[in-house]
Amino acid sequence: MATGDKLLETNSVTMCFGGLTALDNVTYSIQEGEIRGIIGPNGAGKTTLFNVITGELKPTSGKIFLRGKDITHFAPHMICQEGLSRTFQLTLTFPEMTVYDSIWVGVNSRAKWPWNPILLAHHATGLSHMTREICRLVGLEEKMNEFASNLSYGDQKILEIAMALSTQPSVLLLDEPTQGVSPKEADNISEVIEKLSEKMTIILIEHSMDVVLRLCHIITVLNEGRVVAEGPPDEIRKNEEVQRIYLGEIS
Amino acid sequence: MQSEKALERRETPTYFAIVFLLLLAVMGMVLPQGARSLVTHMMVFCILAMGYDVCFGLTNQCSLGHAVFFGGGAYGVVFSILHLKMGVLSSVFLSLGAGFILAVIMGLVSVRLTEAYFVIITAIFFSVFHLLAMDLTWLTGGDDGLSLQLPSLSFGSVTLSLYHPIANYYFVLIFLAISYLILDRMARSPMGKIFVSIRENEKRVQFLGYNIFRYKLMAFIVSGMFSALSGGLYALTLRYGSADFFSFHWSIMPIVWCLIGGLGTLAGSWIGVVIMSLFQYYVSGWWTYYLILFGIIILLILRISRKGILGYVISRRLN
Repeated sequence: MATGDKLLETNSVTMCFGGLTALDNVTYSIQEGEIRGIIGPNGAGKTTLFNVITGELKPTSGKIFLRGKDITHFAPHMICQEGLSRTFQLTLTFPEMTVYDSIWVGVNSRAKWPWNPILLAHHATGLSHMTREICRLVGLEEKMNEFASNLSYGDQKILEIAMALSTQPSVLLLDEPTQGVSPKEADNISEVIEKLSEKMTIILIEHSMDVVLRLCHIITVLNEGRVVAEGPPDEIRKNEEVQRIYLGEIS
Repeated sequence: MQSEKALERRETPTYFAIVFLLLLAVMGMVLPQGARSLVTHMMVFCILAMGYDVCFGLTNQCSLGHAVFFGGGAYGVVFSILHLKMGVLSSVFLSLGAGFILAVIMGLVSVRLTEAYFVIITAIFFSVFHLLAMDLTWLTGGDDGLSLQLPSLSFGSVTLSLYHPIANYYFVLIFLAISYLILDRMARSPMGKIFVSIRENEKRVQFLGYNIFRYKLMAFIVSGMFSALSGGLYALTLRYGSADFFSFHWSIMPIVWCLIGGLGTLAGSWIGVVIMSLFQYYVSGWWTYYLILFGIIILLILRISRKGILGYVISRRLN
């Protein structure tokens, strides 16, 4: 069962899609304040693990705990309200809304009456203050009035992170935040992540080894739905099995 | 201070709405009798169009069931005046209540579904209610309908009769203005922003901690209530209600109005109402198959701007 010091914990989670086992008995846990990475080849089950944790998929078996509370059967919005937020590998933004409004909607989810039909949205000073703060934190303040669809892909990735942040999570799950962006933008994004890691617990899925090895305290390697190795970056780099299944595959 | 672009998107429709409403207020005095009754009908349709826009334009739920609310509102007025001997104003509020109940019933079932499934289930609701209204002639009067004797309105010492065309005109205009104020306020509120974000990306909103089912149901209910209000006012204007108020016409027309005028702009749909009504009034006299011509015009408008006429103006002002 869940112990007190573990913030998020999956307890032998298995996820099957018909005959395919995407996650096989994954037991994973993260403590408050840590930043952890998950790596693995394509189809290893990394995103499936996120989908199961955030409630998009219900695991075939196993349990998920957040601060010792069983959240296995919670709906996605309830899990978000518990303080767990995620980004998506393929950006899911609001194309016809401005950056400011996109973040504002997330901030509003923590308001006392998020559905208030009478108040004018821009009169909620507490919320707009918080929205500006998040824009500043991720470096989008100059693009606050741009429509999300007009942003560069790198900025959309940052907006994804900002929207996940806007719900004031205690655990942030980032699904390949630097995938498909230019090296300069990737540096920018990993700087943002580094800044955030001082404030909250982060789990990071990445393909780019540089980012993971630089940022994360502990790295978990998934392959074919199973945890293959877990440890600090140096140990993972030396691990022979990891080199065979992951690094070897690339080079 | 607040993001100017977002503000601009709501400002343009607001300016348009103010001008439109002022124009209507003046026109009530100067128009000849025939045109005045045409404009009165238009104003009733404007409320329906705006109500529909909350559902389709703000939360992207393309309902084919709004004829149920329109008919329900109309019969709300008819029954409350015929059987309950209520006054005109209270009958209008009862039609709002009828819309609320119908929308809750329909919404609880259909709002869980999206896209094509939502369209189909609302269409099924429409068919059921239409058939019921046609068959239960003892209740609804069927195709012949039930006609009304309107009691006169009294405010203190002033009494007004809706039989007077000008009184009828301004009675409807006041409801149009109030509906616009309420819906525009809602669109600028936190609730309105959540609606728009649901239109933009339903899944993402869920992962921002919102129970989207609840918000889509709210939008559906608001939409249903204003559609019912429109139906009620239409019954008051025509002084009768028939099963025809449940016909498919009232499900399709709001979609057309909103598409021409501009989805999600609320007041934009009024442009659609005006164009469509004028067209119907003038061209249908010359040519029986005028709808073919109208179809071509809709296609042309949407070819030029997928966001409709007011949507086109907004995007021109933004760039």
